[in-house]
Formats: sequence, structure tokens, C-alpha cells
Amino acid sequence: MASAGPHPGMGPVMVLSKLFDSIDALGFRTVIGLGWLGCVTSTSGFEFVDDVGDSKTQRTHGRQAQIGNIAAARAVADIIRSTLGPRSMLKMLLDPMGGIVITNDGNCILREVDVSHPTAKSMIELSRAQDEEVGDGTTSVIILAGEMLINAEPFVRMNVHPTVIVRGYNYALQEALSICEKLALTVDVHDTDRMKALVQSCIGTKFSSRWNDIMIDMALKAVLTVARELPTPSSAPSGGDVGDLYSQKMEVDIKRYAKVEKIPGGEIADCAVLSGVMFNKDVTHSKMRRRIENPRILLLDTPLEYKKGESQTNVEITDDEDWNTLLKMEEEYVENMCMEIIAFKPDIVITEKGVSDLAQHYFAKANITAFRRLRKTDNNRVARATGATIVSRTDEIRESDIGTGCGLFEMRKIGEEYFAFFEECKDPKACTIILRGGSKDVLNEIERNLTDAMQVVRNVVFDPRLLPGGGATEMAVSVGLRKAGLKSEGVQQGPFLAVGEAMEVIPRTLAQNCGVSVIRTVTQLRAKHAAAYEEAEKEHGEGAFPKCNWGIDGITGQLVDMEEFGIWEPFSVKIQTIKTAVESACMILRIDDIVFGSKKKGY
Amino acid sequence: MTTTGSFIVPNLISKNQSQLNNVGSESGKHRPETGQDVRVGNVTAALAVANIVKTSLGPVGLDKMLVDDIGDVLITNDGATILKSLEVEHPAARVLVDLANLQDQEVGDGTTSVVIIAAELLRRGNDLVKNGIHPTTIISGYRSALKAAVSYIKKEMVVNVSELGDEHLINAAKTSMSSKIIGKESEYFSKLAVDAVKSVKMNATAADVAGYDAMGSGGGGDAEAPPAETTSPDGGTAAVSKKQRYKYPLSAIHILKAHGKSSMESHLIDGGFAINAMRAAQGMPTFVESTVDQPVVKIAMLDMNLQRHRMGMGVQVIVKDPAEIENIKKREMDITKERIRKIIDAGARVVLTTKGVDDLCMKYFVEAGIICARRCNREDLKRLAKATGGKVVTTMADMEGNETFDADSLGGCDSVREVRIGDGEMLYVYGCKGHGASTIVLRGANEYMLDEMDRALHDSLCVVKRMLESNTLVPGGGAAEAALSVYLDDYANTIQSREQMVIQEYADALLVIPKTLAVNAAKDASELVAKLRSVHAKSQHSEDVSDDGLKFLGLDLVEGTIRDNLAAGVVEPAISKIKSLRFATEAAITILRIDDRITLNK
Repeated sequence: MASAGPHPGMGPVMVLSKLFDSIDALGFRTVIGLGWLGCVTSTSGFEFVDDVGDSKTQRTHGRQAQIGNIAAARAVADIIRSTLGPRSMLKMLLDPMGGIVITNDGNCILREVDVSHPTAKSMIELSRAQDEEVGDGTTSVIILAGEMLINAEPFVRMNVHPTVIVRGYNYALQEALSICEKLALTVDVHDTDRMKALVQSCIGTKFSSRWNDIMIDMALKAVLTVARELPTPSSAPSGGDVGDLYSQKMEVDIKRYAKVEKIPGGEIADCAVLSGVMFNKDVTHSKMRRRIENPRILLLDTPLEYKKGESQTNVEITDDEDWNTLLKMEEEYVENMCMEIIAFKPDIVITEKGVSDLAQHYFAKANITAFRRLRKTDNNRVARATGATIVSRTDEIRESDIGTGCGLFEMRKIGEEYFAFFEECKDPKACTIILRGGSKDVLNEIERNLTDAMQVVRNVVFDPRLLPGGGATEMAVSVGLRKAGLKSEGVQQGPFLAVGEAMEVIPRTLAQNCGVSVIRTVTQLRAKHAAAYEEAEKEHGEGAFPKCNWGIDGITGQLVDMEEFGIWEPFSVKIQTIKTAVESACMILRIDDIVFGSKKKGY
Repeated sequence: MTTTGSFIVPNLISKNQSQLNNVGSESGKHRPETGQDVRVGNVTAALAVANIVKTSLGPVGLDKMLVDDIGDVLITNDGATILKSLEVEHPAARVLVDLANLQDQEVGDGTTSVVIIAAELLRRGNDLVKNGIHPTTIISGYRSALKAAVSYIKKEMVVNVSELGDEHLINAAKTSMSSKIIGKESEYFSKLAVDAVKSVKMNATAADVAGYDAMGSGGGGDAEAPPAETTSPDGGTAAVSKKQRYKYPLSAIHILKAHGKSSMESHLIDGGFAINAMRAAQGMPTFVESTVDQPVVKIAMLDMNLQRHRMGMGVQVIVKDPAEIENIKKREMDITKERIRKIIDAGARVVLTTKGVDDLCMKYFVEAGIICARRCNREDLKRLAKATGGKVVTTMADMEGNETFDADSLGGCDSVREVRIGDGEMLYVYGCKGHGASTIVLRGANEYMLDEMDRALHDSLCVVKRMLESNTLVPGGGAAEAALSVYLDDYANTIQSREQMVIQEYADALLVIPKTLAVNAAKDASELVAKLRSVHAKSQHSEDVSDDGLKFLGLDLVEGTIRDNLAAGVVEPAISKIKSLRFATEAAITILRIDDRITLNK
């Protein structure tokens, strides 16, 4: 990896070692300082690595490490570069088990790719963090972070100290964020057309774009269903920093309450969001009713069968009569439970645990439909959709625990399997999304797209500000940074401008992916934004900020005004992308030494 | 081999001989065994260690990326962490690694500089030995230099800030984090650190105060420190110690890491506590707060199972009557139910347990509108108990053999809220009613960054704590070292014995800090250090009072010039400086004393 011997034009760090060597008067000074991999052997017979560390330890040092890191970041960014924009291509990934994943989701691709370079790993982490935080922009964050590092390379080669680069990057980040703030547009969450356009632009890049209308409607409906106002706290807590968390009045828990059920078969147009929930279970007994209108629903998380106690109990039976009592007791126990349940006249009983044959018999007789072994999460969802409370002891059932919110219960057979549908719920706060499609792979990809779309809606519900898409924001930031950068003095000017240039990677990649002349398009776009600046300055004087929403139509590659074209992205996603990209680039730039084979970390 | 027979004897002899030969051949190889060889070996190893961390010193120092066998990555700038993660095998090098650890534990900051100084002292000591000076002379020279240095710091360099303004604390925190990943956001994080430490202020007990005084004036694991130091002209500390002193237990500051968002979105929950746990059931409220009739939200912290009661291992219940078995079963459920009832009756509105909670029991909590979280971290709960003034309850049994839940063991707070952070949930406890506690929630791009932020913040917290406890600071950026170097040079001239040379070397060795700082910043080290020395010499030799301020001059690494670091806000706690000098000297002495290394075979 590293070439031995002196390197022409050493980085600042190497200057250090050099200087120190000259200060150093010892005969064995070559041991130290020059920590290049490959020249670690000393003159006096000690081996650096052997002496201090384990012989497995390898070091990459100084410029070598920095350039290596940048190269790794570039490699990661290159993997997913082609998956950005509406003209993106899918990747097919094969895992060691032989399974395949077909996707263009940045996070998904990188998660599957097996990398060994530590920096590349750290890049991949970014994508994961982005996915968990905002759920979208996983591709852009990697491309942007990679570009930030690539643009830092000339500075590293020019012997600009990494801390200077980092400082410049940070100033640029602050400036970029303020530009985004100015560019942002607030949207009304209930303005369906706007919201649709927004979601459209986010999942436009994905595989399911042909069924965009359905997808968008589904995402909107699902999110607005599970959105719930939180009780507003009456008193503000002490400590100012927590204010934003307190103001979080909405709760949108997509993960728990908007469940995606994938059923292979049918076609994508059959996908739907239920106004209620559905699960893949059949009734326990074939005699039970399969369609009930306005059912009374009872949810349990206790077994409806005889269960031994937790403590180890032995019964010594000396009398044959006792044996019978014992058996009878078990029966009575189940009967008791069933009677307690039946007393409340539910139409449907659902439990997370088992239901014994005897209990089934009683239920069937009482004309109650029973389900067993439902997952806890499913049960929670049913509870939220129908307004029932999950009961854990049958002797504690109360009338208020019974859910009556459901309008129609029906068993339906789809393909070879039976599904229980709870539909027409009154004001459901949970829902099930049914996806239909040709194959499992298609369904998986649609699910990923839908999750992205729902995250987008959620982000907008939380923060209803939007930024123009199609590379318009990035270009505006880029041009804005150039304007601001030329005014700044000091060494960090270069890195400051470099951030601006790096931001152009998004419009550039968009143009590249749809096959138009990259240079011509990007130059035109830049000119448009710059002209907007000049115009604004002419009208409003120095320092005026133009709202220029010109970007690239990712399908045709033409320049369009995003305002008219209607491509918007959530503010929070964009901001998070830029922040994460710059911060991680800074972290990687600060590294000047990589040691492989160190001890397992521990404190 | 005890069999008789003369023919065995020659065999034995030849075996012994071969063993002797083995010893010979081993020493014939490059293994140093005695005298100068072993000293050179030790010093080389120590230097190698110091060189690893050298480039991470100072505000323009860079980070190291450590990759372990499994491929896990650690990115850090912290000297102690780097050395801990390296597999250092050389015994002398290990001394330096331990030294960094010691500094980390005792002071929390300055781990890199302590290693660099120690290595430089060793190198110079070794040169002296080569020039024919006996190690014991070097050792005594180093000792007297250290003594002189420490008393000089206390007399001349220390700035007493009797009523420390926030400004100085923030400056000190900023200085310590300037070299770290959060350095660029030091403005924000230094304030965070200061606020955090201040929020856990407690009245100190007499024993604590004695501890600080010992720390401030010598003591602290340095048994050989001459008694003269404890009575050093140090009026400030003595005066302060008469007043009410406070302590700042850093353990009360809880640092929680959650990836996502950006580092600037890290925040401090003042007087609050965050615990990485979520509600056990979805039916529970996400939020409880104090009301008029319940001014305090009571929290029960349990270290026991709220699952169905079961007999201990090996306990068998044998019943004659089959009906009994049913009763046992019912009783099992009721025991837990009664327990929960007692907890609820005691007024708890939040129940946290380290163990499990049966699904059966969830309903009671849901109905009572109580937030219950299971499988919490025990350490976290203990801290929370301290913070809220409650106790972690391990059993509900009382002296009479009945089960009761003591309402006194409930902690109190203003409100508890479940907050979604990233992809997970956390419980935030606001306005704890017990001893102070604060939580810093760190956000960052990825795990590695968070870990490094955690380490950096910990260092800064330590620095702030030291500053608040000792009330003294010294200028940073190489100012103290340069001043000491000039002073020791002069001091050496007053000594007529052989130690003179040694003290001079000690003086030069201290310059390694400003030199390394300058080199890391890619500035002209020789010129800067020369300039720095000359101003310090001027300040020390001049009678003019106006030159007195010159002693605070240190390096400005961004501009590559010299400036008043006290005014520029580059300051460190005096204790940190004194301790790192002391530790470094002791470590150097330990290694220099060695003249033989014997590898023992088992």
C-alpha cells in the first residue's frame, strides 16, 4: 500500500516527523517518526512494530492515510452514483447465501456490500444513520460526502493542513444551512396536491414510479392515519435546549402502526391502504363465523388453555378419585375462562397465546370467532384500530376493554392463504398496507419505496418546510457559497469554495444519469442561478438573496423551474444530508494515521 | 531422571551445557539484556510510543484511526485511548501506556502531553548516560528540577480566579476540546460542558476538601514529594479552602449517544436524565407530568422481576389435595399483582425495572396511566435513583416478613416523557428532585464520531471540574512550558554539582510541547520556540513591572505567532499541568533506573 522511502512534498504531518528527525540526535532515529508502512524497520535492530506492538499491527501514516481515505470514500460513492435521480438504475446484489436483493435504495445497497476499508465502513454508517433519522436521501448523503472528500484532495496535496480544511468546511456548512433556510418554503400538510407532488418527487426515482399515483395516495393515507396528536404538556421543563423536543406535538409511528403486508400475486394496482387492519391468520375453528358486521372485539394476551404454574409443584395422588378431580379441574379452569369471556358477548376473541380445543368448542357454541397466536405488534395494531384494550386476565375484563370501532370483519382468501380483515374502522389510528405484486423481489422493492415515501410524509408533518428538488437547492447553495466564499479572507477560503463545488455533484450526477451533456447542463444551471443573484442585487442592493428554483428535470435533462415543475423535497432531509456529509467528511479528513490490528477496544 | 546408572551423567551434563548455550545464543541475538543496551532499548520503545501520539497534540493535531482484528474502527485523538488500543508489548513502553492511563484517571486531560514529555525526558536522560553521567545523578537532577518547576508554576504562572467567571471555565473547556473532533464547535460544546458540570454541583464534605487540597498542593499518589511543597506559597488555595467548597461528581453526568442529526443538535438536559428504554406496552402514556394534586412525579426504580412469582430453584411444592394446585397458580399471579398494587398505591407514576415485566401485569400499569419500562440498564437506574433522590428497590420484603413498598424509595421529578430519537425511543426524566444529575445527549453522523465526541467531552468535563475545584489556571499553548524552561535554565546555573547539566536538559525537554505544537501546525518550530523563549526570558529577568504580563505569552498556532494566551482564552487547570509534569518525571525516572532486563521463563 505504502511506498517506502522519501515522498516528494510531504504533508504537514510528515514535516513534523522530518523536523523531529533533524532535532533528534539519536542514532536509531529512523525507527521513529517515519511511520510509513514498509519502512518501519530500524537501524539498530529493533523493530518498531515488534517492540511496541504486536507484529500483526500495520500502520498507514500521514499523506498516505489521507489519500487512502479519500480514495475509499470515492469508491463507496462511485458504487451508488448511478442510483440517483429518476433515471436511476437498480443494482442486483447477491448475498453469500444465494439470496438476491434488487434495489436502488442507497442504504440497502451499501448494507449488503462487504467492505473492509475502515473509512468505507464509516461512510456506510452514514447512510444507515440517515435512513434511521429521516429515511430518505441515503444515496445523496454518500455521494455528497464522497464529493466533499474528493474536493479536499487537492488541498491535502497542496499541504493545506487538514484542520484548516475542516474549518473552511464548517464555515461553509453554516453558510449553506442559512442559504437553505432562506430558500425554504412552508407547505400546508393538508394541501393534498402539494403533498402529492412532494412525495412524487421523492419516490419518482424508484422502481415503482409507474404506479406513483397509487403509491403516493397510499403513503399519504397511511401516514395521516397513524398521525396522532400528543397531549400537550402544560408546563415547559427547565433547561432551554430541550424546547424543540417538547414542541413535538405529533406522534407518527410508522414502524409500529402502519404495517406493510406483502402478498405475492395479483398486480401492483391492487395495492391498498385499509381503513383498519389485516393479518395473516385463519379462524381457529372452521364452524366459526367468517363475516361479522360491527363486531365486538376482545383482545387478550393470555393463553386460553390450561397452564401450569411457574413454581415447581407436584401432586401426590393416593386416591383414584383425586386423579379425576385433577383432570376435571383443568377442564373447569378453561371453562371458567371461557364463561368469563362469553359473559361480555364479544363477537371476536383474539389472543396472543394459544387456544385449547375445549375453549374453541365453547366459543363456537357461543357463536364467537376466535384467533390464536397473534403477534404482539399485530395485537397492538388491532387495539389501536378498533379501540380495544388488551386484557391479560379473563376475570378482569371490563366493558370498556371491548373494541367496537370496527365496521366489518371478514375472512378473505387471497391466493392459498386466509387473511382476517378488520375494515371500515371509525377513526382508526393504525392501518395495514397491502402490497400485491408479481414476485417477492418486486414486493420487497416496493415496500422499500413505500417506506421512503411514508418517511417523507412524516418528515413534512413534523417540519412543513420544503426545498426545491432536482439539484436546484444544491446549485443555489453552490452559487451562494461561491459568492460568500470570495468575500472571506484567510486560508480557509479554498476549502470554503470547495464545499460549494462539491454541492454541484448532485445536479451533475442527475444530468449524467439521464444522459445529457453534463458540462453544458450544469454550466447553464449555474449561469441561471448566478444571473438570479445579480438581478436580485440590482433590485435590492448588495447581499440580497434571490429565490431561484431552477433545477434539472431528471427525466429529460432539461432545465426547469422547480416552482412550476413541482419537485420539492422536505427541508429536514436536505438539511440532514448536508450536515451529515460535511461532518463525516471532516471526521475522515482529520485522520492522519491508520493502525490495523489494534486491540479490541475497551475502556 | 533420577534413575541410577553412570551413563546418564554425561547426558545430563551435555544437556546443561546446551541450555547454557541457549542462554548465550539468546543474548547473542538482538535481545538487550544489561546496561546501556537495555536502557537504549527502553528509551527507543518509549520514544516509539510517544511518536504515535505526537501528531495528535494541540489544536491542529490530527486523529488516528485504529482498526482491530475484527475490523471494528475507532477514530480518536485522545492519547490514552490510542495507547490503550495499541497492543504494546514492550515493558518500558507499557510504563508509558500506564502513564497515560493514570493521567486519564487522575486528571482526565493532557494524556498526550504527558507521554510526550516523559519520552523526551527519557531521550535526554539516555544521552546524559551516554556522556557518562550516572543514572542516579540524572534521577536526582530530574527530581530537583521537578520540584523547582512545580513551585515556580505555583508561584508565578498560576492565575487565581477566586470567583471563577463562566468565561474562564468556558475557555478552559474550549482549550481542552480544541484538539478534538468537536473543536470546531467548541463554542457550543464548551458551554454545554460547563453547564453540565455546574448542574451537578454538590456541597463537599470535609474529606473531599482535604482531598482537593492534597491534590492542589502535592500529595496525590506522589509519596516522595518533598514536604516543602505542601507549604508552598499558595495563599489562594488556603483562603478558598476555608469557604464552603463544592464538589462536582462527574459520574452524575450521563452521556447518551444516539446517532443521527448533527453534532450541533447535541443537547444538555439540565437537571434531567435520559434513559435508553421505551415503554413496555403501547397502551401506556408517552408523557406524565406533575399536576396540582401531585406536584411531584414519583418514579419507582426496581431491581426485581415483575413476572409471575415462582419459587426459587429446587423448591418443590408437594400438595395432597388437587384443588390446591389451582390455588398455587392463582396465588402466583396474585403475588405479583399485589406487588404492583403496592407500588402503584405508593404513588409511583413511572416504574422502571432492570428485569422483566410479565405481559399479564402490563394492564395494571396501562390502566393506572403509568409509564413502565423493563430491562433498563442497572447502572443507569442507580444513577437515576441518585438523581431523583430515590432508591433502587431489590426486594419488597420488610423486617416482619411482609411485603411492603416504601414510598420513601420513590424518586421524584417534574415530568417524564418518551422521546423519539432517530429510530428508537428514550425516556427523558425532567427536573429530577434529588442530587443534581444531568444528561448530555450526543448526536452525530455515525457511531465512531459519537464515541470520539464522548471521549472529547469527557476530557472537557474533567477540566471544568478541576477548574471549579481548584480555582487556579495556567496559560496554555506552550506558555507554561516555555516559562518553566527559561526558569529552570537559570535555576540550573545556581547549582554547582553535576545536576546542573541534568536540570538544563530537563529545561530543554519541556520545550518539546511548544515544539510539537508548532510542528503539528506546520509552522517553523525553531523560530517560534526561540521567540517564545526570548519573551519569557525578558519577562523573568526584567525588573520592569510592565514586562510581567509577558509570562502569559504562548503560541498562536493558527497564525503562527506569539500572543497572550491568557487573554486569548487558552487556559488549562493548574492541577493538570502540575500533575502531568509530576507523572511524566516519575515515569521517566522509573525507566531510567532500569539497567537490566531479565526475561523469566516459566
